[in-house]
Amino acid sequence: MMKDPQRITLCGMGGQGIILSAVILGTAAVTRGKKYAVQTQSYGSEARGGQCQAELIIDSKPINSPVAQQKDLLLAMFQEAYEKYIDTLAPDGVLVYDPDLVTSLIDHPCAHSFAVPATQIAVDLGNRMAANMVMLGFLSEALGMVSHEALVETVRENVSSRFVDLNLKAVAAGAAYAKEHSLTLS
Amino acid sequence: MSELKINPNRRFLRPEKLPHFFCSGCGCGQVLNYFCQALDALDMTPEEMLTIGGVGCTARIPIYLKSDTFHGVHGRTLAWATGVKLVRPELPVVIFAGDGDLASIGGNHFIHAARRNLDVTVIMVNNLNFAMTGGQVAPTTPEGAHTMTTPYGSAEPRFDICKLAEAAGATHVERWTTSRPVQCVAAIKRALSHKGFSLIEIVSQCPTHFGRYALGSGDPQKLVQWIKDYTYTEAEGAKMTPEEREGKLLCAQFVNTERPVYEGTNEVL
Amino acid sequence: MPIVQADPKRVESGIHFTLGNYALVEGAITAGCDFFGGYPITPANEISEMMSKRLPQVGGKFMQGEDELCSIYACAGAALAGAKAMTATASAGFNYMQEGLGYCYTVEAPVVIANVQRCRGENYASQADVMQMRWGASGDYEAIVVCPASVQELYDYTIWAFNLAQEYRNPVIIMSETTIALMRERLDIPPAAQISLTNRRYTTLSPEEYMPFAAAPYGCPDAAPLGKGYHTIYSLNPHNEAGGIDWDPQEFDRLYRRITGKIRENSDRICRAERIMLDDAEYALVAYGSETRPAVEAAQMLREDGIKAGVLKLCNVWPVPERQIREAAREVRKLFAVEMNIGKYAGEIERVAGGICGVSRITKNLGLIHTPTEIYQAVKEDLK
Repeated sequence: MMKDPQRITLCGMGGQGIILSAVILGTAAVTRGKKYAVQTQSYGSEARGGQCQAELIIDSKPINSPVAQQKDLLLAMFQEAYEKYIDTLAPDGVLVYDPDLVTSLIDHPCAHSFAVPATQIAVDLGNRMAANMVMLGFLSEALGMVSHEALVETVRENVSSRFVDLNLKAVAAGAAYAKEHSLTLS
Repeated sequence: MSELKINPNRRFLRPEKLPHFFCSGCGCGQVLNYFCQALDALDMTPEEMLTIGGVGCTARIPIYLKSDTFHGVHGRTLAWATGVKLVRPELPVVIFAGDGDLASIGGNHFIHAARRNLDVTVIMVNNLNFAMTGGQVAPTTPEGAHTMTTPYGSAEPRFDICKLAEAAGATHVERWTTSRPVQCVAAIKRALSHKGFSLIEIVSQCPTHFGRYALGSGDPQKLVQWIKDYTYTEAEGAKMTPEEREGKLLCAQFVNTERPVYEGTNEVL
Repeated sequence: MPIVQADPKRVESGIHFTLGNYALVEGAITAGCDFFGGYPITPANEISEMMSKRLPQVGGKFMQGEDELCSIYACAGAALAGAKAMTATASAGFNYMQEGLGYCYTVEAPVVIANVQRCRGENYASQADVMQMRWGASGDYEAIVVCPASVQELYDYTIWAFNLAQEYRNPVIIMSETTIALMRERLDIPPAAQISLTNRRYTTLSPEEYMPFAAAPYGCPDAAPLGKGYHTIYSLNPHNEAGGIDWDPQEFDRLYRRITGKIRENSDRICRAERIMLDDAEYALVAYGSETRPAVEAAQMLREDGIKAGVLKLCNVWPVPERQIREAAREVRKLFAVEMNIGKYAGEIERVAGGICGVSRITKNLGLIHTPTEIYQAVKEDLK
């Protein structure tokens, strides 16, 4: 279980649903978990160039600075984005990455490192676009960031009805991956 | 000595504002008179209206009317009116704008209000120059005319504001002159009765500036004659050659149609 | 002033996780906003977009003007016609609105303007327009500018802004910034019964008795409906109490003294500031808007080093919360003016604290709010 405050960077490339993932995590934490959360993203020309990044802080008390200098979790779904943000991960932080998209790891100290083939799992489910939901399912199960029930309800409310079934299957698959491989913070 | 007669339409005016500030021989007083005659004929009262003037000589017309009035910012008459009509669609709104106010600084608001078919009456007094500021060139000034900022003659073609209104989507467009009182009153009556965007352009004399600089005379009578020569009706035009009509303005009703007026969006359930 | 309870149909009570721009819209809807005119500009677009959806649902009117001038004047027209009117823009668009804003001050039209400050041409965050919001229009007037620091405050302060606009018949500017406008955060909306709204007072006099611009020396005049025989002239030109254009300098002096006096003389009722860790503080960070947030963390970091620091959070920047700044200046050894520009409002803090304590500036215009560490280090450096 991650401790509050949870300072998170989610990064990847445009079209992977990075921002939506951050919004769903924040919504689940706030509306179901009655916690506080702040979500920001890059502005200006920094936001261009195919990379995509969202920052999220979840805490049990009101949050002051919306920008955390060190992160407790880095979720990386694209090599270049990973390289850009890995330096912000705290030494006791957690790295979660998709090994098919982040293929070359940099030597950076962190407490835990989880390789989750979210894109491959999503492709197996029939739509690679659901890779972000696989990751959310994993984060819920392995790190306890938000409860499984809160996540499922929030996904149901925040994705278009056409994709609810696919997304919920992806969430379940991500959680199952964590269980099958006994991936958890211990 | 005969009894002094009071114009019955004086009841539409603010007594404390008289006498008016228009130059002697200016057409703005005539337009105010025509408007009052139209109100009287339609049994309307300015007290139940909003009249709007921007900045300029024409913009002063509503100051004399016993109505609620917005005044004092150049070119924004229709922007004000747009907000008012969305909130109070039933409130009659009449705009008095000079050619500078409407066709120059307010040109963008003008074409968009016409496009939206905002339900207002616009009376544009076209004295062919910026008069209040001292007689500078306007978008309506005839090409070649000498003004305070075109000492060698204006090098720009003039706007035909009625054509602009029609192209932008106005649903009622007429042009007349101060020297045609009957037509002016009738046109204003039609405008006040029209549902949608109405433009009545009234070509007017400016003895103080345009007359003296461009036409070489400050004599209102001579200027009225010049306007008569500068314009023609459809009947007059039928007897003129294309060369004779060249450069002159047609006085007529150009548009009188109906289409839905702008009321903003309502929720679609 | 008539005080009423918010309409439950306009209040989305509950806990939300939402965008700052959307929270501002919900605050406006709660406050009774029934007219919005806007023109596209980043990063204020989400305000227009959400307004175009929400206003028709509550019987209000939305319009997208042909430019910013249309937007602000349409708001002025709608406000004088009785609506609670609002527009939203961002720095460059706010430039265009100065003309209309000047009209609103002079005819006392209660329009609310959200200005989402940004860096020129880009979405980078900035507080560089803090002086423009006070001084942008020509003529004599006083501005009211509230500065939310969070998504929650974008909701709360927008309601406050509408209430102030109605109470003082003055435009009120909501000073937003990219930082909070495009941030998602927790928003708690209370039940409607807990939200009080101010409505402007209408005259009870007959049209013959009514003087549209007559009020107590520092008061605001009662309003009259349009088209009901009150035949009022709302002119930008100098006008007397009867509303007539009047070029007698004595008359317009009286007008300008009243429309500035109604804000200045009531500034203690208008101004709000929050004291955070200030009671035993030896140093105070004075900040407004999003900059208060890293300032609070910086003060905590300084306290961990044994430096007793606190924060004076200005909830509004105009009128200047002089009493609160002066009190803080008397209590501490030094003030630190923290802001996201090259140093603007610091001049006001220096003016108020002049002769009481020193003021140092901690400024930054790099498109991002200060980090707590930057403020912490700047204070440490200054105290060396």
